Amino acid sequence: MSKPRLAHVVLGGCEGCYVSLLDAGEALLPLLEAVDLVASPLVAEDDLTDCDVCLVEGAVTTERDIEKLLQARKASRTLVAVGSCAALGGIGGLRNLSTRTEVLDTALGVGERPTGLPALTARVQPISDFVTVDMSVPGCAPETETLLEALTAALEGRDWALPRRNMCDECGRTKIKLLEHSSEFVSDSVYAIMELDEIDPEVCFLEQGVICMGPMTREGCGARCTVAGVPCRGCQGPSRPEFEQGGKMVDALAAVLPAGAIMFMDDLVGTGYRFSMPISIFPTIYDHGGDGDE
Amino acid sequence: MPLGLYVSRCGGKVDEVIDVDAAIAGVAAHAAVVRVFDDLFDPAAQERVRRDVVDAELDGVVLAGHSVERYNKSLSGRHLIEGIVAAGINPNRVVAANILEQVALVHADDPVGATAKAKAVIEDACRRVELSDEAEGIVSEPRRSVLILGVTTEAVVAAQRLLQLGFSVVLADRGEGLAHALQPSSLKATSAYVAGHPNAEFVDGARISDGSGWVGDFDIVLNSDAGSAHYRVGGILLARPDVTQWIEELRGHFKVDIDENGHARSIDPDTHPSETIDPGIMVVPVRSSGDRTREKVAAADSAAMALVLQLSQPTTTHYMDVSQVDETLCGGCASCVRTCAFGACSLGEDGFSHVDVRRCRACGKCVVSCPVGARDIISAPHDYLVETIRGLAESEVVGDKVLGFLCAGCGYPAADGASAYIEESGESYPASFLPLRIPCGGRLDTLYVLEAFKAGFDGVTVFRCREGHCHNLIGNLDMDRRINLLRTVLRSRHLDDARLRIVDISPFEGERFVEQINAVYATLGSLANGKGGPQ
Repeated sequence: MSKPRLAHVVLGGCEGCYVSLLDAGEALLPLLEAVDLVASPLVAEDDLTDCDVCLVEGAVTTERDIEKLLQARKASRTLVAVGSCAALGGIGGLRNLSTRTEVLDTALGVGERPTGLPALTARVQPISDFVTVDMSVPGCAPETETLLEALTAALEGRDWALPRRNMCDECGRTKIKLLEHSSEFVSDSVYAIMELDEIDPEVCFLEQGVICMGPMTREGCGARCTVAGVPCRGCQGPSRPEFEQGGKMVDALAAVLPAGAIMFMDDLVGTGYRFSMPISIFPTIYDHGGDGDE
Repeated sequence: MPLGLYVSRCGGKVDEVIDVDAAIAGVAAHAAVVRVFDDLFDPAAQERVRRDVVDAELDGVVLAGHSVERYNKSLSGRHLIEGIVAAGINPNRVVAANILEQVALVHADDPVGATAKAKAVIEDACRRVELSDEAEGIVSEPRRSVLILGVTTEAVVAAQRLLQLGFSVVLADRGEGLAHALQPSSLKATSAYVAGHPNAEFVDGARISDGSGWVGDFDIVLNSDAGSAHYRVGGILLARPDVTQWIEELRGHFKVDIDENGHARSIDPDTHPSETIDPGIMVVPVRSSGDRTREKVAAADSAAMALVLQLSQPTTTHYMDVSQVDETLCGGCASCVRTCAFGACSLGEDGFSHVDVRRCRACGKCVVSCPVGARDIISAPHDYLVETIRGLAESEVVGDKVLGFLCAGCGYPAADGASAYIEESGESYPASFLPLRIPCGGRLDTLYVLEAFKAGFDGVTVFRCREGHCHNLIGNLDMDRRINLLRTVLRSRHLDDARLRIVDISPFEGERFVEQINAVYATLGSLANGKGGPQ
């Protein structure tokens, strides 16, 4: 029997998901033995005509990405969205808050347009806007173990599903004030983490006045950020796509932290929609692609 | 789901303006029974509905005609709903489509617009029936005991009636109660009867420190000079609705409507002078200094009778309007715990959020605060609200569409009241203003505003209670906080946040309702980025 054919396609992203896969180290050896790697940043010449499993990382940001993605879908039996960019649009999705002209002018200089680059799409989109996705592994980047689990399941033709609760379920920090029945806010203000002299390693970030995206974010990473002493930034996206992270951040925290202080945060929108702008109810600006844009 | 659609012409007032056949054309195709009556309150019509429920095995009923207020706050309306429920329909599946007070009476000058709007309103009601779960009833045997707040002439007379009928009473007074109450000499014997009765207890210097439960089964903790004591009573009589401290303490645990003076008010001073929006809490009308003894006695009789009617039933049923948490989604973030103004949410040892139904007022704030959608309000579920926002956006009404979220406590009755003002003044507002009733301003999720703009609404207006008047203490304030933060989100998408307007209103301000809608329409034209969501 021939080995299953595995492909790994990179669209608009940083290849950090790929690095996460490489972090598997020796565990990769049996995997590489068991498959035929037909396309990958490791392979000199990609053959994307027929494969059993195709990992797609990166979001759709250029016309070239669309072509590659459609080809990948056509070639593969099981297509896996790997990482927040592929699954949610990712951090690059924040460019959707500007017009394409503004983006190009800022990146290249006003009116400067080099030739030979793939054309930028009007906005950043997750791959599910274009193709059917069989399995999704969000995270920036996804945990190596999670990736291997999902990949193994895909190769064996098994179903593999993400957990559905929010991050607080696996975050070990204690809640005290949040559990009190009170109409007071749990903190007198809202702080960026570097503004605090001391951070209690045991207590919920919200109670320390730090915005943590944990409540709005799907669990599954082992709450690695809060364990490491920084608040969750929301890279796994919402556990139900229709409950967008930015809007629900406002809903969940308005009675918990001083709403006035939240309003004066430097980047409220960037905090709420950091990884999932392209799957939000308004994934881009209202008149995007209208008159005057390229 | 077999659905019955019953349209009332309301004595001709509806079909004078609305083309009823056109308004029900879309829904009629999939309803199991469709009937049009001259007057739905006619006993023959009611009997017909009840028989259909049984014969056609209906699962839901839409009553198109009067406002939902009419069913909640009039004897004939309550009777009609009770009959339908007794015939086998869950109360959460009996829904009013208000095409009289909020359509026909206010858009008489625009029959085409009114018909399109009526169609949207009826479709909304059908969607509500189809997308709402059945409410679960908690049945209990009512306690034959009453807590009376304030020892007044009315209190003593009502107590005497109740004691004679075998009820026990607790008479709580903030001061020294009977000792200092000014009793007319003609009622000395009544006072003596109450004071000497073994089933009457007096608590002086009393404060309410905790309360929970519902009609037939209240738990109240009173603090007094004698310490703290727990009372289990079936009903509460507020004999001093003008003492704001009692009202503030009650409002911390129960829904009590207040008027512009902060006094507790009944649902209708003419037809229901004693009953409040909580069926277990009665009031006597606020006293004016000129009230004579016989008026006080009549008020006491009315309140005592209202309590006796409630507490003499073999059982009372309290319908739960909040769902328990979905444990496959809840991660225990505790947003709901901190958000609930009634202390009804808490995290259990299992790490999941639990709701204490005896404390829950079903305002929906916990639902909105839940970032994963693990809990819902049975009468205003998330899926229904999202679907109906999209559905209303598709309505055939002409012109700029504005979605009006109407708080059930203020904006919705004000919208009904606008019909009287329009009739007097000849003013009107565009039929493309589409109303959506929500249980409380606090039920407004930011996602619903975003969905409304995405679905194509040109404006969103939220009518919410004036400060201090929210039935749920701070549902209005919490909504303000959310909406103010949401404005930043809207502006980030280059969406002019002036399209989103919050209006504070009291239930009597029909004129203000009309003025404010017209003010919204006056500004819409000058705003950028009007039509259409993202591609």
